[in-house]
Amino acid sequence: MKPAQFALDTPQSASEALALLSDHGDSAKVIAGGQSLVPMLNFRLVTPERLIDINGLEDLAYIRENDGVLAIGAMTRQQEIEASPVIAAAAPLLAEATREIAHPSIRNRGTVGGSLLHNDPSAEYPVTLLCLGAEVEVASVRGNRTIPVSDLILPWFSTTLEPDELLLEIRVPVAGESTSQAFEELARRKGDFALAAVAVALTFGASGAIEKAAIAGTAGRCAQRLTEAERALTGEVPTDSVVGAVAAAAETEIQPVGDIHADEDYRRHLVALMTRRALAKAIGDRAGSKED
Amino acid sequence: MSEQAEMSEQGKVTWIGKPVPRREDRPLTAGAGRYMADIEMPGMLYMVVLRSPQAHAKIVSIDTDAARAMPGVHAVYTAADLPEELKPFPVIWRPPVLKDDSIAALASDRVRNVGEEVAVVVADTQQIAEDARELIRVKYERLPANVDPIKALEPDSPRIRDEWDDNVAALFPFRNGDVDAAFAEAAHVVDGHFKINRHAAMPMETRGVVASWDALTETLTFWSMSQAASLLRTELAKSLDLPDNAIRVMTPNVGGAFGAKWDRYAEDLLACVATRRLGRPVKWMEDRREHFQSTVHAREQIQDWEMALDEDGRILGVRGRAVADLGSCVPSSGIGTQWVTGNTIPNQYKFENYSADIIAVLTNKARAGSYRGFGGPESNFPMERLMDKAAKELGVDPAELRFRNQIQPEDMPYPTATGMAVYDTGDYPGALRRALEMVGYEKLREEQPKLREQGIYRGLGIGCYVHCTGFGPSAMLGMINYDTSGYEGARIRIDPGGKVTVYTGMIPLGQGTETSLAQIAADSFGIDMDDVRVVWGDTSQTPYTGFGSGGSRSNLAMTAVMNAAEQLKAKMIRIAAHTLEASPDDVEFADGHLSVRGVPDSGLTMPEVARIAYLAHSLPEGEEPMLQTQQVFDPPGFGWAYGCHVGVVDVDIQTGMMDWKRYVIVDDCGPMVNPLIVRGQIEGGVAQGIGGALLEEMVYDEAGQPMTSSFMDYLMPTFHDVPDYEIDHLVSPSPHIRGGFKGMGESGVMAPAAVVANAIVDALAPFGIEVDELPITPNVLWRKLRDAGAFEDGRSAASVG
Ligand SMILES: Cc1cc2nc3c(=O)[nH]c(=O)nc-3n(C[C@H](O)[C@H](O)[C@H](O)COP(=O)(O)OP(=O)(O)OC[C@H]3O[C@@H](n4cnc5c(N)ncnc54)[C@H](O)[C@@H]3O)c2cc1C
Repeated sequence: MKPAQFALDTPQSASEALALLSDHGDSAKVIAGGQSLVPMLNFRLVTPERLIDINGLEDLAYIRENDGVLAIGAMTRQQEIEASPVIAAAAPLLAEATREIAHPSIRNRGTVGGSLLHNDPSAEYPVTLLCLGAEVEVASVRGNRTIPVSDLILPWFSTTLEPDELLLEIRVPVAGESTSQAFEELARRKGDFALAAVAVALTFGASGAIEKAAIAGTAGRCAQRLTEAERALTGEVPTDSVVGAVAAAAETEIQPVGDIHADEDYRRHLVALMTRRALAKAIGDRAGSKED
Repeated sequence: MSEQAEMSEQGKVTWIGKPVPRREDRPLTAGAGRYMADIEMPGMLYMVVLRSPQAHAKIVSIDTDAARAMPGVHAVYTAADLPEELKPFPVIWRPPVLKDDSIAALASDRVRNVGEEVAVVVADTQQIAEDARELIRVKYERLPANVDPIKALEPDSPRIRDEWDDNVAALFPFRNGDVDAAFAEAAHVVDGHFKINRHAAMPMETRGVVASWDALTETLTFWSMSQAASLLRTELAKSLDLPDNAIRVMTPNVGGAFGAKWDRYAEDLLACVATRRLGRPVKWMEDRREHFQSTVHAREQIQDWEMALDEDGRILGVRGRAVADLGSCVPSSGIGTQWVTGNTIPNQYKFENYSADIIAVLTNKARAGSYRGFGGPESNFPMERLMDKAAKELGVDPAELRFRNQIQPEDMPYPTATGMAVYDTGDYPGALRRALEMVGYEKLREEQPKLREQGIYRGLGIGCYVHCTGFGPSAMLGMINYDTSGYEGARIRIDPGGKVTVYTGMIPLGQGTETSLAQIAADSFGIDMDDVRVVWGDTSQTPYTGFGSGGSRSNLAMTAVMNAAEQLKAKMIRIAAHTLEASPDDVEFADGHLSVRGVPDSGLTMPEVARIAYLAHSLPEGEEPMLQTQQVFDPPGFGWAYGCHVGVVDVDIQTGMMDWKRYVIVDDCGPMVNPLIVRGQIEGGVAQGIGGALLEEMVYDEAGQPMTSSFMDYLMPTFHDVPDYEIDHLVSPSPHIRGGFKGMGESGVMAPAAVVANAIVDALAPFGIEVDELPITPNVLWRKLRDAGAFEDGRSAASVG
């Protein structure tokens, strides 16, 4: 189970990496934490001629908050996100979802950028970042561009990143005072990829009604915004029957894919259930924080 | 003296029965182990195997030119390159009803499962070999594949062996009593259609070999992690046309085997052929994906059973059939596992009428061989499910129904309904009673309805089991056409300094062999355990063992060690008596000390006697110098271990996920040599049983492509997926074995599937769901719940709170 032969580059700066990508983009692969890429190399599912190792790009590992925007460097390890007080305050959803990713040793190496770009349909970050309305900044020798996560991720492990582009940063709007976020997933075992996952971010109005609802889910194909579910919740006071209607909408609009672990019906059902549970958690948290 | 030693009342040092930490643990956990992958030799070449990507296909052509031309490649072999040198391995367990089959090293004209060996590349490095393998071009012509064992029984299904007139490798009938009469007079009949899932032993270390031909002495040194080194040597000798004494099989540390390393494998032969042809050591290490595809799978059976009971719930008879999927060829163990399934269906219960057809069929999947439990879990699951079904039908508690049917201690020895097994000793109701007491059965039963009102679906599952150990009397193996022996030997040498070395044919696979044999030897001589060394893993030094490690046979090796120690003690007594000018009858041997009775200070120490024995200046008339002996123990009968597990689970009806609340185990393996090792063996076995029941399955698609070729898809239980174990023991010594020890390596794995299924069915009793197919996944449970109308409007969670 060994990778095919490849050349290895170890650039020490982003510009060096971009030059390499410009020369070899089509036949090269960037390697970050290696937690998804190395297994694929070992199975020879990918056989790039070169690997561009960006672990030397230390200035791409950071977590900053500026003017209501949380900026996370692509090379930030998942473990740092889990432990960061900045994230816990500005995007609690991200911290919560990170705890569901694999196991500590994998989170120590795996990066947020690598996970987003690997875009496993069952991974935690794509669905979470989609829910949070995040955008990314990518660069190439041709220049930089900003892509909303909703335009970045495609079904089946694909993204709209060009072969010569490097992901630099992920930007997330900071959670406001009156928001409440929650994440729910079901996996066969602790640490496994989710059979289904749902992320919710709610903004409450003064009346107790929900001003803004962001709901994203995934069930084996690709993370997707559940817009019908969002619509069913926006402007409503989240009573049991409203939550029921939201879950029913999520169940209808999710596009599940079955595999040996879970069939489509079951995943569809789980999305409804996870929606229900995530909403209950977010609404409960909100109620809890108001009582304090 | 080591810490754990204890002085008994007689002042004697005793090790047996103490929870001595395994002496192998410290070096192995500190990284001092030497596993197959660690073996490197000057000039070593690396072999890789090209495997079939097709489940069933004709090989039209193989083009190896590009691979051969690659720099660093020493050889590429296909079946056509080795017409003379590849004599297939025969099957070991060959009852007359089993059709002829054998394990071929390379496919010649046809491949029969994904993963079958098609060619090998031998090169300077592993990397070169793997790269060259990619250059081999094989043209296949696809044939329809058989993946379903039941469909493979149909007359027009694709044929796996052209020489056979169907796909049935064997039909073994069990017939005893008058089963039809029993069913005719039955007040109640319960039945079930059971599926036991294809899964496998998943040792942490995959397979591997190193073979080294010495052209000077014309001998072959063969490092193998085979559980059956002596047997493998004999078979290699036959296949390679060498005398046995030209082959030395060495075993390094083994990272788990669980039965999967008992089979003979193609790579064993291929590495030998390569080293002989190339004159350089050849190493092959299996990777995990290969392991998934070509190391034996196990357990897959589709079964139909019926049980007849009288008005009081007493079993009158059992009848049915089990169809076992052997995969693409008959494994080394033949239909051994399936025979054991048929032979253990009666479990702990008293009845006389039994009929079973055990049918083994070939399909286009990986070969299915041995896995811890060896056919036992496959019978325990349906039988213990039938007990619960019968309890439900009769409206009695499942524990009560078992009490009514269990064989009583005073019935022992008890010949079972199969007509082929005799249980030796045991208190079956005692184990059940103790387990119920430990778990607080009555209280849990009282709580159950209240919890349901709160939406908590809690269930209790019972699994009683038997485990045939000390496998087995050689004459019995002969009767069942097992083409090897069952005895176990032990050699003991006391060196001139008086220290003890035990040589065993057992292979340590994680079962603590070194420690428990050292405990036995230390107690036999009354010496410190640290003064005993245990040597294993080298057929040029260690005793022949026809069976090898597996079959829960440590107790046989222990008896052999005791017997050998006895001989040497007698000899030392004779020598001491001669030196002390006393009659041997008056010389006592205690705590490694020999003295004249009544004159304790008069004596000699073991080192002193050893010196005399080696110097041979003054020995009794006719006494041979030196202190060494070999004893062989062939058991007169099987020791049947047994026990009872009770599990408590909560099921989340919304997700179908279950959560462990309790797991109680009462096990009886006779007197325990080392309770710590026993505990480890039980815990590991139960974890494997739980994995097989809930998570592990080798899935194939309709074309015969494996869908589970990595740990991404094949889910093993981790620390999070197993319960805390609460363990107690009963002690029923076996009359067949010195010390009364029974084997216990496989006990833990017998009952968990039944326990899990019974507990889940009990938890979901309000919905009337039955669970007779493994593995029990959340998806499956949710579907059953939905179909049973568990969600008010039958639609989804969206409408349920
Ligand atoms: C046993 C195991 C269990 C796991 N379980 C989970 C789980 O439950 N949930 C989950 O979400 N994930 C899981 N993972 C995957 C893990 O989260 C990976 O770390 C992550 O998916 C990839 O991040 P990485 O930094 O390791 O990226 P790599 O593996 O190095 O790269 C992944 C991909 O991203 C590209 N890439 C990485 N960084 C950049 C960049 N800056 N610019 C351009 N391209 C880039 C690479 O070229 C590659 O295509 C698991 C992994 C393992 C081994």
